[in-house]
Amino acid sequence: MRALLRDNRAAWSFGVLALVWLAAVLFAQGFDSIASVRYLIQTASFLGIVAVGQTLVVMMSGIDLSVSAVVALSAVVCARVASDSDGATGIMVALAVSVLVGLVNAAGLIWLHLPPMVMTLATGTVIAGALLIYTNGSPSSARIPLLDALANDDVLGVPLATVLWLAIAAAAVWLLHLSRLGRYAFALGNSEPASRASGVPVPVTTFVMYTACALLAGVAGLVLLGFTGTSSLTMGNPYQLLSIAAVVLGGTSILGGRGHVLGTVAGALLLTLLTALLVAWNLDEGPRQVALGLLIIALLLAYARERRTT
Amino acid sequence: MPEFLRARLDLVGLCGLLVVVLFAYQQLDPTLLDPSTITILSAQFLPLILAAVGQTIVMLTGGIDLSLGAVLSLGMAVFVVTATDDAGGVLLAMALALVVTVLAGAANGVLVAYAGLPPIIVTLAASFLWGGVTLIVLPQPGGHVPSGLVRAYNMGWHGIALPAVAIAIALVGWKLVRSTRFGMAVYAVGGNEHGAYANGIATGRTKILAYGFAGFFVGLAGIGLAIQTGSGDPTIGVPYTLNSIAVAVLGGISFFGGVGQMRGTVLGALLLGLLTNLLLFTGISTFYQMILQGVVLVVAVAVKTLATRERVA
Repeated sequence: MRALLRDNRAAWSFGVLALVWLAAVLFAQGFDSIASVRYLIQTASFLGIVAVGQTLVVMMSGIDLSVSAVVALSAVVCARVASDSDGATGIMVALAVSVLVGLVNAAGLIWLHLPPMVMTLATGTVIAGALLIYTNGSPSSARIPLLDALANDDVLGVPLATVLWLAIAAAAVWLLHLSRLGRYAFALGNSEPASRASGVPVPVTTFVMYTACALLAGVAGLVLLGFTGTSSLTMGNPYQLLSIAAVVLGGTSILGGRGHVLGTVAGALLLTLLTALLVAWNLDEGPRQVALGLLIIALLLAYARERRTT
Repeated sequence: MPEFLRARLDLVGLCGLLVVVLFAYQQLDPTLLDPSTITILSAQFLPLILAAVGQTIVMLTGGIDLSLGAVLSLGMAVFVVTATDDAGGVLLAMALALVVTVLAGAANGVLVAYAGLPPIIVTLAASFLWGGVTLIVLPQPGGHVPSGLVRAYNMGWHGIALPAVAIAIALVGWKLVRSTRFGMAVYAVGGNEHGAYANGIATGRTKILAYGFAGFFVGLAGIGLAIQTGSGDPTIGVPYTLNSIAVAVLGGISFFGGVGQMRGTVLGALLLGLLTNLLLFTGISTFYQMILQGVVLVVAVAVKTLATRERVA
């Protein structure tokens, strides 16, 4: 039993999530209604979609620091294109540019041999600069009925955004845990030289995972655009660090090769719940961040310690 | 290519680039070597240089500091909140700010050394923590920096460029630290942690000291930024996290630790700063500045990786 728990850190994140949620219902005001649950899973889905994508690249020992820029890119481009033509075109163009960013990231890793952190940091910076030029500093807002419905409508009481998130998570479970490419990603995460030597197709795996990650960041940007109705140049900023935090709190090793996509789902819910709890306690921004930082460190110490050091 | 050039390929390349940029700069702004221009430029570059020095120390141990921007803001906040108008008060505020940032850095170091957590996630979580502490110390932009100090720092004090002097003292300080047993241990721990441990180096203590020293330089950067701008801002440090990593990588510091020299980092910071200023002279919108930064980073690291045929960064 102990070995099972030690080797299955994704299960830990669900356990901690259940405990925190129970504590919230018992000790805090306003966490016991259906409406509050609905609101939590709806707001968690924005972070959750980005974090599922981040899981794909972290698992192969990568990291994507450009997700924040892609979230903003997709929303800004969609809003702008949609105001010139129609919503569907806007969505298609936004997703296309997101995929393009993923392809560029992967190309830099494969052909220029850049470390993932440097390459994605650079693309993120370039995108942020390009968005300033594209919008001249003032991005437009847009009401796109399709995205509005996606972000705010329900299916049987479950927000559509959450349904989309769970569908994406299911697809990611297949990609990472059931498909051949997923096995390659795990192998790369455990040892890149060994994987290369045993014939893992590194370029294909890198292209698929980084493109999927960028695409999901783009999707999150669209859902966020539907939720708020406006786009801004900084709307993606929180997701850069929070998506990595959600992945790690979900029990995935930041060094790659160990973990589960479903853990990330719990991690994103956990982070959103903790934030909501701290807001409910009426803490100021400063103490709230301090508490969040301390809580994250405590949780990491509880179940995310690494046995190997690199 | 002679052996000594090959071994210093990145430094030689950076120096060459810097000379080209300086030449172009001189053409556009003939006052480049005037004391007043040097004062303004060094005041402008000081925060990035010192932040990158801090990031470099951490990276040399094989770590990375994602909380650097938050700690920089923290140092700035403590300084502007406690500074009074007399010289003693200013010095006291500086000392207090540095103590706080050194302790913040050392706390990161303790978690990295003894908690078994990778540096990237420790400092990621710490960035929330120190960012929050900064907001408690200084909830809104503001605070107080003596106007005389601001003037002397930005306009020159009896013809002396104070920021340039500060940078020089900080770098000489690191040079001295680097030559101690601890300085050697930083490279040893970054190069091969198990080997260093087996050779009797206290790897844990080395890491804590290294993160503490990084906190010291980052705190200096925060104080410099406060004096340059004349006030405090709790979120102004955020971009310095990624910029300091970019500059260190540009300067040839390896992500894996143990490889790279401080002079590379300083050259990288100067290069990036001068290039950004050059862009302003050409009259192109400042919006292109970020694109330039990204492109310079990719090109520099790619050229180096492809030229030396080893994955250094």
